[in-house]
Amino acid sequence: MISILGLVLAPLVLGTPTTASAGESRPLAIRADRVLLADGKTLSPGVILAEDGRITAVGSDVDIPKDAAVVEHKGTAGAGLIALHSYSGAPWEMRDSTRTVLPDARVALAFDPARSDFEDALEAGITSLVLAPMPVALCGGISALVKTAGGTVVERDAQLSLGFSAQSLRNDRFPTSYGAAIAELERLFEKPEGTFARAASKKLPVLFEVTSREDVARAVEFSARHGLAGAIHGAAWAGELAEQVKSAGLSVVCGPLQVGEERRDLLAVLALAKAGVPFGFGLDAPGNHPAMLRTGAAMCVREGLDRATAWRALTSEAARIAGAGERVGALAKGMSADIVLWSGDPLDLASAVKAVYVDGKLAWEAKP
Amino acid sequence: MSQPRPVTENPIKRKTGMRALTGWIHLGLCAGALALPSSAEDGPPTLFIKVQRLIRRPGDEIQNAAIIVRAGKIAAVGVDLQKPEGAREIEGAVACAGFIDPWAALGLGADSLQDLGTSGATRTVDGLDPWSNEHLRREALRAGVTVVRVQAGNSSRVGGVGALVRVAPDLPRDEAVVLGDCDVSMSVGLSTSPGGQPERMDPFERIADLDRVVSAVENGRSYLLARTEHRYELEEWQKKIAEKDTELEKDAKKAKKDREKEQKDATEKGKPFQEKKYKEDKRPQPPRYDEDNEILARVADGGVPLLVQAHRSAEIRGLLSGTAGFDRLRMILAGGTEALSCARTLAERRVVVLVSPLPRGRGDLDEYEQSSLSLAGDLSRAGVTVLLGSGGSNPGSSRDLPLLAELAVGNGFDREKAFEALTLGAARAFDASERLGSLERGKDAEILVLDGEPLSSTSTVRYVVSGGRLVVEPQK
Repeated sequence: MISILGLVLAPLVLGTPTTASAGESRPLAIRADRVLLADGKTLSPGVILAEDGRITAVGSDVDIPKDAAVVEHKGTAGAGLIALHSYSGAPWEMRDSTRTVLPDARVALAFDPARSDFEDALEAGITSLVLAPMPVALCGGISALVKTAGGTVVERDAQLSLGFSAQSLRNDRFPTSYGAAIAELERLFEKPEGTFARAASKKLPVLFEVTSREDVARAVEFSARHGLAGAIHGAAWAGELAEQVKSAGLSVVCGPLQVGEERRDLLAVLALAKAGVPFGFGLDAPGNHPAMLRTGAAMCVREGLDRATAWRALTSEAARIAGAGERVGALAKGMSADIVLWSGDPLDLASAVKAVYVDGKLAWEAKP
Repeated sequence: MSQPRPVTENPIKRKTGMRALTGWIHLGLCAGALALPSSAEDGPPTLFIKVQRLIRRPGDEIQNAAIIVRAGKIAAVGVDLQKPEGAREIEGAVACAGFIDPWAALGLGADSLQDLGTSGATRTVDGLDPWSNEHLRREALRAGVTVVRVQAGNSSRVGGVGALVRVAPDLPRDEAVVLGDCDVSMSVGLSTSPGGQPERMDPFERIADLDRVVSAVENGRSYLLARTEHRYELEEWQKKIAEKDTELEKDAKKAKKDREKEQKDATEKGKPFQEKKYKEDKRPQPPRYDEDNEILARVADGGVPLLVQAHRSAEIRGLLSGTAGFDRLRMILAGGTEALSCARTLAERRVVVLVSPLPRGRGDLDEYEQSSLSLAGDLSRAGVTVLLGSGGSNPGSSRDLPLLAELAVGNGFDREKAFEALTLGAARAFDASERLGSLERGKDAEILVLDGEPLSSTSTVRYVVSGGRLVVEPQK
């Protein structure tokens, strides 16, 4: 039973992520033993000040306004984690079994923020998720970046999903062969119109769905030929062609990295880091548990990935790949006040989430 | 029909057997110390491991201590040990026992692992391939996992007999297998899809699964009773025969005289002589041999633990009530996603719960409301003995067990309990605590040398000794 993408499931708040009206809330001040910044630096101790859902100041010596609600945290404060590529809230809405080119199907219109997997994600310290079409169509639609608290849409047009793998082929509808699939994609971008035109002018990033080394090579070539910007989803293969991916100016969505993931896939992530390719991590919830986002990153760290790079991949780099690097993913002035309080270093799995703030409001708190 | 007798004696001399074995080991060690100082040709070498901090067993540490490993066993542990001549010396910061993954898939092909046609008597060791997945084995060793429990028919309703095996590749079979019958495994409510994920399934099928588990234990017990009964009957029968013999012996002279007289009378009267026949009781027959019931009898008698994989609260409750009458049964619950609702009973009944710390996602069906990262910690606080395992479906996952244990610690599982779960706790639950789980004299040499705290993301395993062999060294 698969309904067509585009069906409105729930009333959604579109537009600006922070809509708290002035005067409604007091400023929030979080004083933590350590505050993780996007550039890998740590303030210890540090203060984060937020008002009306946005961060107004971050520093070691920030004046805390008298009327502020002050939170003292014995531990580490960091930006909320961002998962790239997930099906949360709409596992059955991410695919269309009859058509293969759906350039205007927006996932932003088809998810249910009341589904319990959103709260699961919040508990795992994930404050934003990219909801993506399943990689089973030539063009599955447009992914969206949404917040896990309340389902606020941060970016309605995150990426245009393009199926570059054999997964987009089916034997009961066009295309049934790989050649036909590539030919059709070429045709769509030859004289691009509508959504494809936006992609071709780099206004809308694309996400190449790949499953093999050849897929990566073709995607890199295709991207250069049509002047596209965006990312490749399929780290293992992209990692082995890291230099080409880098020179094409593409980013990579890694994983999701499962427990027991082939070491080769983990080393591919290290290769991306070494080549300087921007990357973030996918999750594919609700099939996968949201805690997997962090365990995957920790597995890469165990194999030798630099901690600062891993942290950026979980936060600021992921935000940039999702087209919202100026709004979420870092503790800096002007950003959404999406803050996670950890008991220790978030890349140490023995650290736990103590509290999660989204848009400056307490969205989840651990039991005492 | 004779009266049923209580089962007073354990017909399976498992414990005694183990003790006998260790005794033999001690003897072997002494002999080894005298005769073979350091160079049994192809055997494990003599090692001298010196560390600043030596964790002998959970909660018991000594500083600036050393371990002597000889012929695959721990020959000595202490603070003022001398390096044996010819021994290889290893230095490090921390030493502890090798980790055990009690829910693994390493060493068994997917066909054996996912076999749905297994029965109680299916032995995992028969499907074991000590040469398989070499790179995955090496990765697991580098992470400190030296022994795993594997199970043929991991997700089938009746999986058969599980085994504790060494991870190190290319070992001779007798060195690879630590214990060939560490448990009998069954499951309730798993789908029959490969990997045995607990998908939504018909409730009646789940009830049938429960019934299958309880009936299996019941069959085992009946078999055990029948066999015990047969033994007593046989004894009685032999006693009666012996009595009759004595009686005949005693009256032998008279009987001989009587016989001769009868024979003579018969000859005189021209009648054929008829030998007097003694009526003998029929020899009691043992119960018909049944290979499944052989092992299930040991399960019912508590000689081998029963491991049941179940997730839903209703299934766990059903399992607990269905097996309540088997007071010798030792049960291990694997999975236990919703076990918290039965925590009190689990604690009272001393059921060990084997948790996979990173639960699966909710899936499309949004089925499990109680799937939680804090399961291990919550159960432990409720008094339940908790073990941690990597889930038994992916052979690569054993490598990540230490990370998963950290995750459990982060979610409220006491750090020392987590360490115990990976070492002595797992050894104890699967009847291998005389050989594995701690650094004590006489045990198998399964040793990790780390540069920091075990189960910490900032420390690395430097050396790994398994079966007395150095299987991991720092990479240059």
